[in-house]
Amino acid sequence: MLSAFRKTLRRLMRIFRKKKQIQLGFYGPVNAGKTTLANRISIDWLGKEVGTVSEIPHETREVTKIENIVVTTNNGELRMNIVDMPGIATQVDFKSFKAYGMSEEEAKARAREATKGVIEAIKWLDNVDAVLVVLDSTKDPYTQVNVTIIGNLEARGIPMIIVANKIDLPEAQPSAISSAFPQHVVVPISAQTGENLEALYEAIQKHLT
Amino acid sequence: MEIQLDFISSDMLAKKGSAEKISFILSRIKKNVIIVLEEALEPREETELIEASMREIDAEDFHGIEFFRMDHKARSLREKIAEYISGRRHGITIVGPTRLIEAIKREPEYISMLARIELPEKEGEKRHTSARDAEKSTRKTTKKS
Repeated sequence: MLSAFRKTLRRLMRIFRKKKQIQLGFYGPVNAGKTTLANRISIDWLGKEVGTVSEIPHETREVTKIENIVVTTNNGELRMNIVDMPGIATQVDFKSFKAYGMSEEEAKARAREATKGVIEAIKWLDNVDAVLVVLDSTKDPYTQVNVTIIGNLEARGIPMIIVANKIDLPEAQPSAISSAFPQHVVVPISAQTGENLEALYEAIQKHLT
Repeated sequence: MEIQLDFISSDMLAKKGSAEKISFILSRIKKNVIIVLEEALEPREETELIEASMREIDAEDFHGIEFFRMDHKARSLREKIAEYISGRRHGITIVGPTRLIEAIKREPEYISMLARIELPEKEGEKRHTSARDAEKSTRKTTKKS
């Protein structure tokens, strides 16, 4: 009952207090392309890269904030701070990192940092105005991690757009994401190639500001 | 190897606050038990469970959890009002350690949980196999109500 009240209050506040600059969190499972998308936006509009990307899971283990991005679209200016979060996971096994050639010590250190990163990302849920849920459209979208992230944003009344990333890959099925979460706006993009980013900016302007 | 499943009634869970519930779940899971809760965890409880699991992860013994929730959608107005007042959602939640649950696959009409069997140590060597490969399959399929 308390969460329903909080959700309603948050919605009312959003109607009466439109922000000129939003704090936009990038959430999603591990290796969905959150940092690739943050880099793409940052390079396009600020001319700099903000994080490293890798095929090894949990490459992003700390929250990265990119401030004062101003995007120009057909509908005017979009001002935002991006907060790139570590991927959410329910398990971290250091042995999985060893498969990428890491020593045992390196793998254990990465696992420790990864667990802290997940905790930090969850804590940041209280500090974002809106969220892009970045999902890999080559994978089954109906996982418990995805359901938990989206369920939490719904419960907290945080507006969101689901980004169906990696549409440049032949096995991508963004329609599967739309089918799994039909109640939400889904924008298919490729953070790698920049395909359809204009549509994403316009969707952010329309639904999240 | 035996796999233990504990079924926890909603009455027992109702006596516990969120923090106590999460602590109870984790203590069972760390003893290599798969638990079935007679209620759907709230989204906030799910993130609290993930957060608490991350704090408990250690390199050797505990690598995290697998879980899934199935909601029972309130059909009648009475059910909807009762859920709104109590703040609780009916359904079930299954939680287990990753060393036992190999995979969970959601389909539109059902959810499949694939449990992992750890075979007894032989000549100092630990052998693992999945239920898919084992002679005695422990595949558990739960039909959605």
